Amino acid sequence: MTFEEMPEVWQEWLELTPLERFRQSEKLFAQYLAMGGNLDPDPDPTSPFYDPDQWRPGAAYGRAGLRVLRRGAS
Amino acid sequence: MGGQACVFYGAAQVSKDVDLVLLAQEENFSRLRTALEQLNAKRIAVPRFDPALLARGHAVHFRCAAPGVEDLRIDIMTCLRDLPPFSALWERRTVITGDRGEEFHLLSIPDLVNAKKTQRTKDWPIIELLVAIHYRENGANPCPEWVEFWLAQARTPELLAELVQRFPNEARAQTSHRPLLRLAFSGEIEALRTALDAEVRAEQAKDRAYWAPLIAEFEAFRRAERAESGKGGAME
Repeated sequence: MTFEEMPEVWQEWLELTPLERFRQSEKLFAQYLAMGGNLDPDPDPTSPFYDPDQWRPGAAYGRAGLRVLRRGAS
Repeated sequence: MGGQACVFYGAAQVSKDVDLVLLAQEENFSRLRTALEQLNAKRIAVPRFDPALLARGHAVHFRCAAPGVEDLRIDIMTCLRDLPPFSALWERRTVITGDRGEEFHLLSIPDLVNAKKTQRTKDWPIIELLVAIHYRENGANPCPEWVEFWLAQARTPELLAELVQRFPNEARAQTSHRPLLRLAFSGEIEALRTALDAEVRAEQAKDRAYWAPLIAEFEAFRRAERAESGKGGAME
C-alpha cells in the first residue's frame, strides 16, 4: 500500500509528528477506557503467549459465565 | 519495542500494553524491579521473572495495579528471535524527546520490522505499514542502507514494482536473497502476491519452530505453578 492508497484518516495520522501521534494515542486510549474498554489483550490463538486460562472474568472474551447459546448456520 | 513503537512510527493508533526489551544486567533488573513495585505490578503468567529464562527467549508478563495505570500490561524481554544482541539494537534505536523532556527509546524501524515477523497474523499488516511509512518518509533521500531495507522488506506488489523500477541495480543484486524480486521486474503482480504470501507462511513456520520448545517449557511451568498453588503457594 502506498500513502496515496491509504484511507484519509490514516493519511492524516501519518502527517502528525511521532510525538503528536503518541499524545493523540493517549487521548484515544482515555476515551476507550472511559467507554468501558479493558486492557486485557485480545485473545489471539496465533500468539505463542496465548493462554486460555489467563483471561479474567470481566474480559470481553472468555468470561467464565459466557456461553454460546446459539450458533448461526455455517 | 512493540505496539507503542508502532504508534510513534504511525503504523498503529493505540496499543493496549507496553513491551520492553531490556539490557540483561543486574543493575537494570534492579531498576526494573523498583519501577514494577512503584506500578504495583504483579506477574500474571508463566514464566517467573528469571534472567536465565529471559536469556532463552521467554517473555515475562506483568499487570499493574497502581492508581492511574490500573490493569496496564507490561511485557519484558531481553532477546528477540533473529535479532542482534541488545547492544546493536540500542545503537540503532530511535530516540524521541517529549515536550516534558522525557525520552522514548524505540527499536529502529528495520529492527521493529524483524521483531514483528511472528506467527501472529495481526503483525503482518503492521510490517506492511512500517515499510511503507519508512519509504514515504525517506524515499526522497535514499541511502544504500535504506534501499536494501525496502527491497528486502516491502510487502506489497505495488511498492515492490515501484522499488525495482526505481532501484534496478540494487534490486538485481538482492534477487538471490529475495527471489520474488524477479517477479516484480516482470510485473507479474498476482504471482508476486502469491510469493509474498508464501514468504509470510515460511516466516511464520520459522517462528513456530523457534517457540515450540519454549511453549513446551510454558506448559511445564504452568503445571508446576498449578501444583504449587494447590499446595497453598501463590504467584509473585
